[in-house]
Amino acid sequence: MNIIEIKELSHMFSDGTLVLDNIDFSVKRGEFIVIAGRNGSGKTTLLRHLNGLLFPTGGTVLVDGVSVSENPVRARRVVGMVFQDSDTQIIGETVREDVAFGPENLCLDRNEIEQRISDALKITGLISLADARPHLLSGGEKRRLAIAGVLAMKPEVLAFDEPFSNLDYPGTRQVLKQIIELHASGRTIIITTHDLEKVIAHADRLIIMKDGKIARTGSPEQIISDTEMFGIKEPYFSRMGLGMISWLS
Amino acid sequence: MNKYSDLQMMVYASLLAALMAVGAYLSIPIGPVPIVLQSLFILLAGLLLGRVWGTASVGIYLLAGAFGLPVFAGGTGGIGRFFGPTGGYLLGFLPAVYIIGLMSEKRKNKVLTDVFAMICGSLLIYAFGVSWLKVITGMELNKAVAVGMIPFLPGDALKIAAAAFIARSVRPLIGNGRS
Amino acid sequence: MAELTSFSYRPGHSFIHKIDTRFKLLFIVIIGFSSLKASMSGILLLSLIAVCGLVMVGISLRQVVRDLYIFIFFLIFIFAVRAFSAGGVALTNPFGMSLTYDGLIEGSLVCLRIILIVLIGLLFTSTTRTAEVKAAIDWILRPFPFIPGGRVATMTGLMMRFIPVIMEQARETSSAQKARSIENRKNPFYRMVKFSIPLLERTFYNAGRISMAMEARCYSGKRTGQKLSSNINDWISLLVIISLCIISFLV
Repeated sequence: MNIIEIKELSHMFSDGTLVLDNIDFSVKRGEFIVIAGRNGSGKTTLLRHLNGLLFPTGGTVLVDGVSVSENPVRARRVVGMVFQDSDTQIIGETVREDVAFGPENLCLDRNEIEQRISDALKITGLISLADARPHLLSGGEKRRLAIAGVLAMKPEVLAFDEPFSNLDYPGTRQVLKQIIELHASGRTIIITTHDLEKVIAHADRLIIMKDGKIARTGSPEQIISDTEMFGIKEPYFSRMGLGMISWLS
Repeated sequence: MNKYSDLQMMVYASLLAALMAVGAYLSIPIGPVPIVLQSLFILLAGLLLGRVWGTASVGIYLLAGAFGLPVFAGGTGGIGRFFGPTGGYLLGFLPAVYIIGLMSEKRKNKVLTDVFAMICGSLLIYAFGVSWLKVITGMELNKAVAVGMIPFLPGDALKIAAAAFIARSVRPLIGNGRS
Repeated sequence: MAELTSFSYRPGHSFIHKIDTRFKLLFIVIIGFSSLKASMSGILLLSLIAVCGLVMVGISLRQVVRDLYIFIFFLIFIFAVRAFSAGGVALTNPFGMSLTYDGLIEGSLVCLRIILIVLIGLLFTSTTRTAEVKAAIDWILRPFPFIPGGRVATMTGLMMRFIPVIMEQARETSSAQKARSIENRKNPFYRMVKFSIPLLERTFYNAGRISMAMEARCYSGKRTGQKLSSNINDWISLLVIISLCIISFLV
């Protein structure tokens, strides 16, 4: 069974704008999906349907077989969301407290929470910063903290909204490596971006969105040359006919 | 005020509480005496959040201070601050915000109502503040008023005017950031 | 940077760090009430112990004085009011007011009392994490039926989290406006409005985002609370504090 099934999803804002128009797609367990599109193409709105921050005005979203509208809390446990702006995702006053926030909300036992905190901090390499204040961290560290906070809830799917925005070179490398590792450890990854260069070489599938619709979907090799039509820069290696090259190499 | 979820109002109330704490250190440097912004945010808590959540935000601020978190001006003091000379003003914030919230909720976004509500609120703060100052220092009432109220009135008038204006343009923005 | 005062939590492993937060709060209350009854030398004794505690935790006293200088003016004012308004035989009569021996004693007693309370508060603040304070708030509010302790604790945490962010935002707003010569505008109403609206706009936007992030991480009123635990050391220190307070009445 697919972990996410989206059927005829539409979303209309209260002012009457149709931001998502009849979206259909599904995500297999362990898949690495990149959703690309210009600003305003509906990527973020689509992502927010996956864990019940927004609800469909038409159609359905099933996460792990259960409708998100009916059980948003369950969807939030399955799909961990890393927002574009980590500053507004970080809730705790120290790194450790922030990571604890999610597990505490799940009413887990204290020992289990401590275990999850140390696991999440180990995976993201933030152990040495456990008592640091989040607002003093670097951009890359903040983003990794946002990831740690989500990992502590043990989601199967990780959804990243523009994970590389506002990051410097080392920060981008750290976060990209992190995402690749998480995928390798079996998690399903969904990333939205307007900048394919960094991540496309690692993706299984590329979805291109335009004006709230899915314009193209397929393997990156097949459709990457179409991207410029939709206002997305085609990566250098692809234009040069070099095939897919990881940004990390 | 049911337009927003409890969670949203809770976060906004915490934000206003933080603004009160920071406001004690924010000042507009004009003339010999800078205008400290703390009481501006007290007024705004009532106007923007209403009676329930406005009072909650002041409550959180005072509680955090009473429990020794470093949120009061001039270092700390914990619960001792309420027994100090300025304790009455701090305590007066609570009924003040309640009354401002109550009155401004009745007739929404009417500048005159807002202004009148804030005048009542400010008077409540002084009623608490000055009487406590009188008790703690043993001053006579007229002296306590001369020291603990009169010098601040011009600044208060300015803040009330500013708060009425600010509330009018910030109210429609509440709820932003979620789409 | 971005701290309100230099008096915030200092990580450490001192004896005072390890005392249960609820006990520390209880100590503050006990000492606060005793200071009302204690003799002058008793208060001096308690203050001396508080100062030793501060030194033990590693706070420089010079820093304390520097940060509290406005407070010191305040103390001088209170001292003067008391010294000149108490009854008794006048020592001198400057400016037509009478300074009495009783007044001097009473003035110093009041000031010492306030200093003691501030010192104890400082000691508490610098040895207690916000998380511990939150847990104590939750614990203390638990018996009150209409106050949701857990929620109050969460809000306290959020407030502390917002403080540095607002400081930064305020600094940014103010520099951006200075760059455009706002200092030439002397109208305080204009300055206040032009400063506050962008600050509120920005921070309210962030708050909206944060409420969404909390929702995404399954926030509800029902969650695991912080654990607090007391041990024999806490009870021993309680005994020590009570005996010190009794001594302070007698000396």
